[in-house]
Amino acid sequence: MLKLENLSRQFGGVRALDDVTLTIPPGQIYGLIGPNGAGKTTVFNLVTGLFPPSGGTLEYDGRSLLGLPPERIALRGIARTFQNIRLFQEMTLIDNVIVGMHAHLPYNFLDLLLRTTRFREIERKARTRALQLLHRVGLGPLCEELAGNLSYGNQRKLEIARALASNPRLLLLDEPVAGMNATEKNEIMSLIRSLKQDRLTVFMIEHDMRFVMGLCDTVAVLNFGRIIAEGKPAAIQADPAVIEAYLGQEEPA
Amino acid sequence: MDWSSWWETYSTLVLSIGVYGMLALSIYLTLSCGLLSLANAAFMGIGAYVSAIITLQYEWPFAVALLLGTAAPATVALLVGIPVLRLSGVYLAMATLGFGEVVRVVLLNLDITGGPLGLNGIPPLTSGWHVLLALACTIALLQAMRRSRIGRAFEAIREDETAARLMGIATDRVKLLAFVLGAAIAGLAGGLNAHYTFTLSPGNFGFENAVDILTMAVLGGIQGLLGPLLGGAILTLLPELLRGLQEFRMAANGLILIVVVLFLPHGLWDPGRFRRWLKK
Repeated sequence: MLKLENLSRQFGGVRALDDVTLTIPPGQIYGLIGPNGAGKTTVFNLVTGLFPPSGGTLEYDGRSLLGLPPERIALRGIARTFQNIRLFQEMTLIDNVIVGMHAHLPYNFLDLLLRTTRFREIERKARTRALQLLHRVGLGPLCEELAGNLSYGNQRKLEIARALASNPRLLLLDEPVAGMNATEKNEIMSLIRSLKQDRLTVFMIEHDMRFVMGLCDTVAVLNFGRIIAEGKPAAIQADPAVIEAYLGQEEPA
Repeated sequence: MDWSSWWETYSTLVLSIGVYGMLALSIYLTLSCGLLSLANAAFMGIGAYVSAIITLQYEWPFAVALLLGTAAPATVALLVGIPVLRLSGVYLAMATLGFGEVVRVVLLNLDITGGPLGLNGIPPLTSGWHVLLALACTIALLQAMRRSRIGRAFEAIREDETAARLMGIATDRVKLLAFVLGAAIAGLAGGLNAHYTFTLSPGNFGFENAVDILTMAVLGGIQGLLGPLLGGAILTLLPELLRGLQEFRMAANGLILIVVVLFLPHGLWDPGRFRRWLKK
């Protein structure tokens, strides 16, 4: 579904990503792990078009993503969340989600000016769907609150709802459970499982090992901009290179 | 004092409240999608000169003059906006201010605009209902946009442009729309203004006026349409109420801007603050 080939990115003299080749198969939950500063978020930023790669290719559904601006990539069916939450803080929860549907509200300027039946129908449907999405992530009762007033965990949930609003086929989650408590983590885990059942492909970055290992079909490990391992969670956990680069740092043997 | 003599004395003031309300709304439009553009005085000037030249020299109908006075600045905004809107923040403010100076100097040096003398004896064609209708149309247009995908896109861009793009919003086009529409509204206001003040000179549309318009929107608040209208009315009336301070008008404007930004960061009209008061 998503293919990264020999992808690299330099910031000045620093090689943030070096020759990264990955294939995210459709329908999977695919995890990307690695120590801080390994370049994980850079992968997401390249895929969503925030900046161009220094080399290599990016393919989605067999077509290149190179040179497309972020808004066009979004229209191709890729949505994401952010490690450092980027909600529209002064907008209500429901408006945040409806912004996510922006490109899928097919009324024109005249409809909008004249408040035609078509306009009102499309807006009403958007609201209904936004409410459904908010309920799905457990934020339904807060729909008229301002996003900025939400707790940290709830802001992450809202970001997922907003990303889902554009009806993506590939969802990129950047540390979806960072800063969450155990209950919230379990909620997000079952939410992501239900997304998989809806045939959504999920590509996620996460530091919580229990979460990644319990959820992902495949895991890749990035260290200093290079992929050092890829495989099933059990195999990754046993990989000596991974233990040395990453897991070993957390639990010295 | 009966109605007709009251109107004779104060009609210019009343019309100005409407015209400056439109100008404050025109800058509100760009501010509401996070653009600090100071070109609106120049767009007002283009609209004023184009429509005045049409009624004065060609003697075409007033409606045609206003229409072209609206279309001309919008066209200029389209051409200028494509390169200039790549900038943001202070850089955009500087670039639009520079554009305003270019317009002023061009108006100062052309023959058709009367050079430094400006245009005189412009027919007084603007009546109260013209301004009222134009203001009502502007409010209706902006209100319809606010409660739609375009209004939400404006707000999203203002809060976080990158996140907005990732939601599939073509931010370049949305910002250009705000810029061009703002220019059209400012041009229409300029056309109406020219036809009740009788004279135009390039100095009317320089830096001072650009800052005045910004002050109106910031003073009133940009949380809704009422804020800019309120700001426009207050800053139009203030020099009349404080006639003794006339020479210090700019200083007073500056002072008001500072006080408002310090103590009422969202301006005078802030629905959020009113809600918080009600909750208490």
